[in-house]
Amino acid sequence: MFCLCLRQRNKNMDFSESEFGDYDPLVEPCSYQNNHRLEQVVGPYVHSIICILGFIGNSLVIVTYAFYKNSKSMTDVYLLNVAIADLLFAAVLPLIVYNELTSWSMGPVACKLLRGSYSVNLYSGMLLLACISGDRYIAIVQARHSLRLRSLPYSRVICAVVWIFAILLSVPTFYFYNWYEPSHISNTPMFDGEGTNLTNFWDIFMLGGQENQTSRTPQYVCEFRFESNSTAWSAKVAIPSTQLAVGFFLPLLIMISCYTAVIITLLRARNFQRHKAVRVVLAVVLVFIACHLPYNITLLYDTVNMFQQGECEVLDNLQVAKTATQTIAYLHCCLNPVLYAFIGVKFRNHFRRIMQDLWCLGKRCIAPRHMSTHRSVTDPARTARLVHSSPP
Amino acid sequence: MVSIRAPVIAITLLTVCLLATHTSAECCRKYMKSKIPFPVIRGYSVQDHREMCPINAIIFHTKRGRKACTDPALNWVMDYVNRLGKEAQIVHMRTAKAP
Repeated sequence: MFCLCLRQRNKNMDFSESEFGDYDPLVEPCSYQNNHRLEQVVGPYVHSIICILGFIGNSLVIVTYAFYKNSKSMTDVYLLNVAIADLLFAAVLPLIVYNELTSWSMGPVACKLLRGSYSVNLYSGMLLLACISGDRYIAIVQARHSLRLRSLPYSRVICAVVWIFAILLSVPTFYFYNWYEPSHISNTPMFDGEGTNLTNFWDIFMLGGQENQTSRTPQYVCEFRFESNSTAWSAKVAIPSTQLAVGFFLPLLIMISCYTAVIITLLRARNFQRHKAVRVVLAVVLVFIACHLPYNITLLYDTVNMFQQGECEVLDNLQVAKTATQTIAYLHCCLNPVLYAFIGVKFRNHFRRIMQDLWCLGKRCIAPRHMSTHRSVTDPARTARLVHSSPP
Repeated sequence: MVSIRAPVIAITLLTVCLLATHTSAECCRKYMKSKIPFPVIRGYSVQDHREMCPINAIIFHTKRGRKACTDPALNWVMDYVNRLGKEAQIVHMRTAKAP
């Protein structure tokens, strides 16, 4: 019957696809070619640069704090934790890129661990930046309560809470990301009208046997996989929504409100360094927005339109936008050491000392240090000192 | 530590890039509006939205090696799937009976 239809439409008897394709083109699966080409460049080259910079910057921050900070302040504890989160992120990133490029050759354990730790670092990093803004708000705006609220054990508890919260938020990611071969790629029953192939088809399809096509290399992915339909619907929306809400909009809201109050207080203060402090605060906020806003808007758009049908070209462009903006977001992990740690005078002095010591160690010199070991930097400007951010 | 590790990572990544023969997993994001003639179909695969792709779909593979995304909610799609299954079963029985 179906043959008859085709014969009526086409004069020749050949069932070629192009013939019915003329009036109704095939709707094929999207292959995201443009995004693919971008990933091939961005993945290994740009991400490796980000990773190296992030690794160096955050290692220096951690080493400086580990060796030369005897009296740690509340801000130092936060900065150290941000550096740890960013360092872990910089360590996880190349492994994820490597696996994405080699169809997850490191296997199921690596899949869960890498996706899970990526999520933990994302949440902890963002929430710690919000904590820093809160800390500066208390130090500058609520200066009277500063001594009581900004104690060292207090900050350690807050950091522990942030990490536990980040781990809890990452449990769904850890649980639902799985290492598998997608069913629409792995199981392709073929019907060629020949006995042998049909038997083979039967084996594959009904008995769950292996494909005999040994030429095909298995294509594993590390993506979501759910047991039930309802979990699939809800989790595919809930997980990116949580990332948007807690991993971006909540820290953004906290940072904007805290730093607005900080800037207002700084501008009222009669301090020669206030403009520099304001500039630093603005830089922190603007870099945060510039890095994370484009990616999160793309992610929001993607999440809202996830289940909608769409053209491959449009969806490919969306993927390109996502890859590009994600790379910009990743850049934040190498900017944090500069924006938060190295911008502070105290930190820079400690850092200079450790570099001189390392230099001496390398040269095996026993010459006395020129820098005095006692804390020489005691700014008269209280606000600037508390902000930890007065440039030279 | 830093000075050794960073170049190692860089070299590893660049090597990976050169060796990478990556083919990404595709997904149906839209359905065919009209029927495909049955004789051009060679087989099918199932896209399950509980996995990485956002929608369910039946992907028909044509004899020319192309793919067609169809809506599993439509009757003709499931009719084709059943027909493919039945034909396979008939030939299986025939082959199994043969000595």
